[in-house]
Amino acid sequence: MRSRKINWNMKALWFLPLLLLLPSRLALAQADILGEWSPRVYNDGMDIGDYTGIPLNDAGRLRAESWHPDQIDLPENMCRPHPIDIGLRVSVSQLRITPELDPDTKQQVGYRLHVAWQEPEQVIYTDGRPHPSPYAPHKWSGFSTGHWEGNTLVYTTDHLKEAYLTRTGVPRSSKSTVTTRIHRYGNYLNVTFIIDDPAYLTEPYIREYSWVYAPDQVIPPFPCEMTPDGTIVQAGTVPNYLPGKNDVLYDFATEYGIPHESALGGAETTYPEYIKKMKTMKVAPRTTTEHYKRAG
Amino acid sequence: MEMVCAIIGSRASRAFLLVATLFMLLPALLSAQDFGARDRGNAPPAPPKTPREAAPKDLTGYWVSVVTELWRYRMLVPDKNDFQFVPLNPEGRKVAATWDPAKDQASGNECKSYAAPAIMQVPGRLHIYWQDDSTLRIDTDSGTQTRLFHFGGSQPQSDQPTWQGYSVASWEGDEHVDTRDGQGGPIQDASGKLIPGRVMHQADYLKVLTTHLRPGYLQKNGVPYSGNATLEEDFDTFPDSYSGNTWLTVTSVVTDPQYLIERLFTHAHFKKLPDNSGWDPTPCRANEPR
Repeated sequence: MRSRKINWNMKALWFLPLLLLLPSRLALAQADILGEWSPRVYNDGMDIGDYTGIPLNDAGRLRAESWHPDQIDLPENMCRPHPIDIGLRVSVSQLRITPELDPDTKQQVGYRLHVAWQEPEQVIYTDGRPHPSPYAPHKWSGFSTGHWEGNTLVYTTDHLKEAYLTRTGVPRSSKSTVTTRIHRYGNYLNVTFIIDDPAYLTEPYIREYSWVYAPDQVIPPFPCEMTPDGTIVQAGTVPNYLPGKNDVLYDFATEYGIPHESALGGAETTYPEYIKKMKTMKVAPRTTTEHYKRAG
Repeated sequence: MEMVCAIIGSRASRAFLLVATLFMLLPALLSAQDFGARDRGNAPPAPPKTPREAAPKDLTGYWVSVVTELWRYRMLVPDKNDFQFVPLNPEGRKVAATWDPAKDQASGNECKSYAAPAIMQVPGRLHIYWQDDSTLRIDTDSGTQTRLFHFGGSQPQSDQPTWQGYSVASWEGDEHVDTRDGQGGPIQDASGKLIPGRVMHQADYLKVLTTHLRPGYLQKNGVPYSGNATLEEDFDTFPDSYSGNTWLTVTSVVTDPQYLIERLFTHAHFKKLPDNSGWDPTPCRANEPR
């Protein structure tokens, strides 16, 4: 009986040398993106009516034009986090990347991104798990799975809640899929987002941001507390512009001498040929000097 | 203990130990064999790959700018003193305030905004191809400029600064990276230099360092960089499975202690084209976006 048991163990041992060869091969596929990263972010797209460079469709434009800046002061929006694809662009975006461990086995199953403003977090699973059912709940930072392509961590995010592409109300729908590539160049970290949104975009929208390695960085907590309904905005109202009634929509274009139509985005406006077309378009006299006007 | 003795004593275990030992020694044996072959001259070592042959990614072809970032700074000529996203120091601001495109045009300096630190931001098309086995060449239709990326770290032929400067290129991605999980990134020495932890031989992007630059503009509206500026660029290309596009991304980092408070980061994105359709060469123009 004992002899039979030993023989079984021996068969298992034959595979051990093969296992020795595995870890070195897997480890080669990863760059070290862990740690603290300080942003080098430029917040363009800060003006109402500035949809420049966004391949927006008519539906997206209509939604964007209805957005009113006082919506930020609604109680439900005060502590609303940006999804991480937006948050890394538009907010104070110190970034921390840590390994995501399985709670039971303590094996790494992915990466966790943490951003300073409103503390959104995104977990990127690299253990091969599938995405949930299309009917599963959507979240601010969605559901992400990824893999390494050489030194680049590539991941796909879906199950996103509806959110914004800019801080001034350009929408991104819950049908969006975001492909993200994280690549480390020496002590720089680059994150490239390609946003596909069948609801509001006609072409993929590519954006890229950079960080510098900052081992001493400390990301402070971001406590947020809502004020009671009616404190800033009258209770029961949602500030908005009805179609065609946004009286500040073209202030940005006028201020910078841009044809009104061009400032409202669209795929055509992102290509070099559009420069010639703009020369044939009407530009309003530049009378406005007031920047970022908030109409009440 | 009884079990261990039984294992070691058995014939099967002896065979197992032999195989295990061979597996462990295999890398060393192969390595020794390789060195031995070289020493004996039986199998002459393969000639080193040229940079062209070693290219981990194919950057060649025609590409078109997709201007999704800093649109009004790139698709238009911005107003004088509009440098919101450039970390200019006081001296740089003073120089930017003197911008006069008519003067530049008249004095033969109309290419100031088409120099290496700015040209990837200028909307247009690129034609990338190998001029020879160790020189990658980029032609731009905007401003009709040519950039040469020299592999092998050779020194410039002349100290004379030019708009496109002198660019040394290398395939990168094999940085010395400390891979201690959860330890918060690589270790650095006092000067901020990475201390090697492990070398990863997986070059997968193009790094270009450009010096010997003739002073010019970072933006069309006269935002200056000096002759002391250096430009680091990282080129990467990848397919987008959703749209079927192939993208080229260029991250530029300009260091200029004379005019910048800190390094300036910019990004440019290009979509691959099947051919040269739309190629529209223009001369340098001081008062046009491209």
